[in-house]
Amino acid sequence: MNKKANVVLRLEDVSYRYKDAKKDEYVFKGLSYAFEEGKVYAIKGKSGSGKTTLLSLISGLEKGYTGKIYYRDKDLSKVKLDKYRNSDIGIVFQSYNLLVHLTAGENILLSMNINGMKEHHKKEYVNSLLEQVGLTKEHAKRRVLKLSGGEQQRVAIARSLSYHPDIILADEPTGNLDKETEDDILKIFKDLAHKENKCVIIVTHSDNVVKASDEVFELKSTKKKD
Amino acid sequence: MYIIKNAFISIFRNKGRNILVGIIIMVIASSCAITLAIRSSADKIVTSYENKYPVTVTIGMNRANLTKSFKENASSQEEMIENFNEIEPLTIEDIETFGDSDYVSKYNYTYSVSLNGKDIEEATDSLVKETTTTKTETETKTETFTNPAPSRGDHMPPFGGDNGGSTETKKSTTQRKTTTTQVENIRNERASKGVFTLQGYNSYEAMSEFISGNYTITDGEVSSDFTSNNCVISEELATLNELKVGDTITLVSPDDERITYDLNITGIYKENTEEASDMRSMFSNSVNTIITNVTTVKDVVSKDEDFNPTVSPTYILKDKDDIEAFEKEVTDKGLSEYYMLSDNIETIENATKSIISVKSFATTFLIITLIIGAVVLLVINMINIRERKYEIGVLRTIGMRKSLVSLQFMFELLVVCIVFLLIGAGIGGLTSVKVSNKLLANEIANAETDMDAINDNFGGKMRDFRPEEMGITQLETIETMDAIVDVKVLGELLLIGAGLTIVGSIASMVSISRFSPLTILKERS
Repeated sequence: MNKKANVVLRLEDVSYRYKDAKKDEYVFKGLSYAFEEGKVYAIKGKSGSGKTTLLSLISGLEKGYTGKIYYRDKDLSKVKLDKYRNSDIGIVFQSYNLLVHLTAGENILLSMNINGMKEHHKKEYVNSLLEQVGLTKEHAKRRVLKLSGGEQQRVAIARSLSYHPDIILADEPTGNLDKETEDDILKIFKDLAHKENKCVIIVTHSDNVVKASDEVFELKSTKKKD
Repeated sequence: MYIIKNAFISIFRNKGRNILVGIIIMVIASSCAITLAIRSSADKIVTSYENKYPVTVTIGMNRANLTKSFKENASSQEEMIENFNEIEPLTIEDIETFGDSDYVSKYNYTYSVSLNGKDIEEATDSLVKETTTTKTETETKTETFTNPAPSRGDHMPPFGGDNGGSTETKKSTTQRKTTTTQVENIRNERASKGVFTLQGYNSYEAMSEFISGNYTITDGEVSSDFTSNNCVISEELATLNELKVGDTITLVSPDDERITYDLNITGIYKENTEEASDMRSMFSNSVNTIITNVTTVKDVVSKDEDFNPTVSPTYILKDKDDIEAFEKEVTDKGLSEYYMLSDNIETIENATKSIISVKSFATTFLIITLIIGAVVLLVINMINIRERKYEIGVLRTIGMRKSLVSLQFMFELLVVCIVFLLIGAGIGGLTSVKVSNKLLANEIANAETDMDAINDNFGGKMRDFRPEEMGITQLETIETMDAIVDVKVLGELLLIGAGLTIVGSIASMVSISRFSPLTILKERS
């Protein structure tokens, strides 16, 4: 098996410090790691260790790092990040970050439109995405504020999947959810990795998530699970 | 484009926010519609007035130059009159030469000459009664011769008494009649010799008194035949001489009564000027003015070389900016320094002064409204953008470009702007007529106050006060102004809407370009 061929995201000697920090005060320094397709990764670490910051760098929401981040051998510093965020990666947040004046279906549809997808049967596709995350087409018509936290998170996952990205980045996706819902969401992520060959990277504090992941990337040290 | 659909969804699902913005835009639009409608109407009225009363130039005596020259070169009034008589009068050929100009769209003139009447009595309320006084001196000489009596002395009492002598008395009377006439007539040769003024016009357009309504025909008509011996006479002259349409009058040369001219009466006119109702005069000014055509006057003049006809031209210029160039051209063509050109620009401008004043006020109001409106809209939009920071963050996070986010927000504002601009324009249209006419009424009242003040300055006894010649508005000229929100105004409103949208969107564009999506979402979390 050619392992290099499965690597979708690669960090090479990545260091980051805040703009107003002292010269040698890094959030993290010299990170190197490779993320592969078909796996669920958990990024863990203490508060302030830079988990979310790392996720922001990977998702192209934050710049100002040193070193290199490659998406399929393309240097992230040289790609159009808007396009990258809307075609190559899907982001799921702890607070869902859905547009509250839209329905669940419209949130997903908007993401597809931004991507420029030429799907002929967009409505049916949206319903199929919702079904994939355990919702029905009735949920598509509801405003997101009428949905529960778990349902909103499912909508956020469906939105992130709508344009077929290679990588799913999730920042504490189960932080606001109960145990049962957390398990459901984790199952979705695992299915995405194992059945659809996505690379799922989850920033978490949850042991449950760590257990469910294939690999754990702890900031300052990378531990490979047995 | 999906951003249009997204914008409409956003507008309909955030009604409160958009109605607030809309109300502000509606108020701005109403004010703008009113002011734009006033401006537009004012422009139309001014243009209409300028078209109705085109720029005209007349030639008259340059009395300032005349007086200055006479004062320098003449030592007495007699000499001044002689000098005046030496000035070459304008001829029809001169008028035609001056009229042959690129600056002139057309021209007309009146040709006048004074004549006496035959079997037609002039209307006058002053008679010169000529009384010849002959001074007769009568000298009576009485010579008495007495034959003395022989017995009495030489000295006799004067009365009575008979001294016995004889007395013989001889009376002789001598009458001496002395008539001395010494008349030296030094007169302005252009002054009227006859009692009637025969005034000839070369076209209907030249008959400004009829156009302005100063004269109106009460019977018959002004003949369209400008070559025959037709005339119209005043109502008073007709009554005085029992003349009617169809009659013929005969005029005679004041210098030679053998030279006569027959004119057919085609109409009777009356004078409607303020002067005509002057209670100090028995007759109106025009009572002895017989109106005919230029051809007839030319014919009359050709029969007697002693006539001194006067020509008064009126040139209608193509553009008011041509006045100076036309004046130069006429001077180059040989117009004497004793003549000068006068135009009616001031009269036209004065007549539209109140309208222009309203327009100026409307413009100022428009600018203030737009500035305040734009600032308020900008602030409201900035507040809205702060509220929508989260939305911006989400849109940017899921990969929407900054430019598209800005475009969507701008489109939303544009839609709200257009909808409420149209509502505002409707409200403005309904109120603009009343508001503009109310404003104009105030302007007229102010102008009236100005006129009263000027009257007072002169002691309030200015009977012949002509406001249009003194730089004062002719108030009667334009009294109402119907402001209408028309296509032009709507177009201007839409431009304003576009401007306001751009100004309002500056806030969103700046915010969108400055906001980091991650920071927004972190703040939210």
